[in-house]
Amino acid sequence: MKGRHDVGQIDLGGYSKSKIPVHILLSSLRLATDRARGDRCGGAWRLMLKLLNVDKHYGPPERPVPVLRNVSFTVQAGDFCAILGPSGSGKSTLMNIIGLLDRPTTGEVVVDGETVDFSTPEITAGLRNRLIGFVFQAFHLLPRLTAWENVALPLLYRRVARPRRREMALAMLDQVGLADRADHRPSELSGGQKQRVALARALVGGPKVVLADEPTGSLDSVTAGEVMALLRDLNRRLGVTIVMVTHDRDLAGLCDRRIEVLDGRILRDTAAA
Amino acid sequence: MSSPGLSLREAVVEALDNLRAHRQRSLLALLGILIGTASIVAMLTIGHMAQLETLRMYRHLGVDIVQVHAAQTGLAPATIDRGLAEALPGRDPRIRAVASMGLGRFPVAFGDQISDLSVAPTTQDLARMTGMRLAQGRFLAPIDDGGLSAVVGSEVARKLSAPGRPLRVGEQIRVGGYVYRVIGVLAPMPFTSFDPVNFNETVQVPIVGGQRLIGVDQPSTVLVRMAPDADIKAAAQRLTALLARPGASLQVLSAREMIDGMNAQKAIHSRLLTAIGAISLLVGGIGVMNVMLMGVMERRREIGLRSAIGATPRDLQLMFLIEAATLASVGGVAGLLAGLAAAGGAAVFSGWAFAAPLYVLVLGPAMAALVGVAFGFYPARKASRLDPIEALRAE
Repeated sequence: MKGRHDVGQIDLGGYSKSKIPVHILLSSLRLATDRARGDRCGGAWRLMLKLLNVDKHYGPPERPVPVLRNVSFTVQAGDFCAILGPSGSGKSTLMNIIGLLDRPTTGEVVVDGETVDFSTPEITAGLRNRLIGFVFQAFHLLPRLTAWENVALPLLYRRVARPRRREMALAMLDQVGLADRADHRPSELSGGQKQRVALARALVGGPKVVLADEPTGSLDSVTAGEVMALLRDLNRRLGVTIVMVTHDRDLAGLCDRRIEVLDGRILRDTAAA
Repeated sequence: MSSPGLSLREAVVEALDNLRAHRQRSLLALLGILIGTASIVAMLTIGHMAQLETLRMYRHLGVDIVQVHAAQTGLAPATIDRGLAEALPGRDPRIRAVASMGLGRFPVAFGDQISDLSVAPTTQDLARMTGMRLAQGRFLAPIDDGGLSAVVGSEVARKLSAPGRPLRVGEQIRVGGYVYRVIGVLAPMPFTSFDPVNFNETVQVPIVGGQRLIGVDQPSTVLVRMAPDADIKAAAQRLTALLARPGASLQVLSAREMIDGMNAQKAIHSRLLTAIGAISLLVGGIGVMNVMLMGVMERRREIGLRSAIGATPRDLQLMFLIEAATLASVGGVAGLLAGLAAAGGAAVFSGWAFAAPLYVLVLGPAMAALVGVAFGFYPARKASRLDPIEALRAE
């Protein structure tokens, strides 16, 4: 799975009708080459996410219902990996643990070298704000806020002043090609645009890992392709580490790496063909 | 971990947005807050105006006046020794002035107009002490002693005047069997419960010679002005001792005690209104809690999202508390306006001057906001304790 990030790999594949603005494509080419020279300088990869012997069970301790059993894996900085599994496989629980929304029963989660302290909701909220960017299937944009206000939301919980929040949000909207929609409300945006706003929101705080939960699940196939292409582009161009959770084998095939989950265990961990 | 904070202004704007989004439901909740604040504001404002009015009414008398009445105990009419009474200022430095008066009731006629009126044999001191004002003519003076001069009140003049023949200075009126010449007509003056008689409806005649009408030339009532810092209770006892004579028991009334009595009665009304206000605020608070709980239920996804992107439970709690306080404050401001309007109506109705105490302008909305915080606490806590995973999945 390593060493696959060369320029030739920018793969918009079957989504050649993509509406990704030309400047993003061009800058993605440029950044991808930069990354090839910079980040990977010396060939040392940075460990971004590590799960170590994670167990999760629900129910009373005397009759536990195991959902995850001894799950361990690592994700490198700049990886674009898919967690693939049918419903009931423990995939969602795994995602919630990676997203620091749920705590493992045993085992530990390390994000960018920092072992996650799950002791209080206050602490995990602060860690989520700093470390994780969320993209949801249902977008989860707040309807009363404009696009840029939605994007800026994570900064609100970091006490960033409003003018600075706007500045950062506009810059991020520009990155996803929606600079001209900054003052629109979600109801005035198409599904693909909504998901791009959500993506900008996930990225605005400079997270270590973007966690995308079925990010194309609510979109038609053309728009879904565009969003996938954008994810891929942001991954290459900005070096964002992306963990995408899906049940769709084809979609997972577009990622660099596929972690298949079944019955609470990792079934396979493969680099995409 | 430092708590990431929300800017208060943004939280308030957000709360007002929510209020607009659920206008009808919010307005219903606010009704209770509105009524509660309005009744408390109205109560305080009306109380304030009544107090000003009381002060204004007693100002012409002054609160340092004591009234001594002789109550009949035997067959003879009860009287006070006038000489003894009028010598009081010389005997006690805390007594500033004394005015004597008697009282009777007679038919008073002017031309064809006849009216049954109070007649008070008195001296020139009465006018000075009670702050009477003249519309025409002059007050009684020592030269009127023993003569048939009369000063009539404003209502007396109105009642006895016929169209084309007003009762004026110089006219003659028949009081009992005697003909008196009018030397003065009083301007209208406030009548308070402390006045021995309504001077607007009274004919004043000289006390010397007054026995012609009421049979005695001694007063039955003496008004005594005390020094402003005098102890009224002690003074009352002293006066009773000084003026005591056989055949009459003396009653002492003081303006200050009467005002205290009125205040005590007003306090009962105030307590009643406060209770109504408190109950309304309670109902309003429950309304706010209801609206907030519904808001928390409806906005579970939003709460889940905010939690996922880094809102701490404290942030969420604060957000909903500010929202509840804002909601209630809107009701509080509306209630303040309604309360002031009600007090204004009461002022017009009673002919008082409208005056709102300044602290009410702050107290009304502040109380409402406090209710909002108190009743928003439970919903806010509920919001802060939602599990973000379930909240995100909510429909």
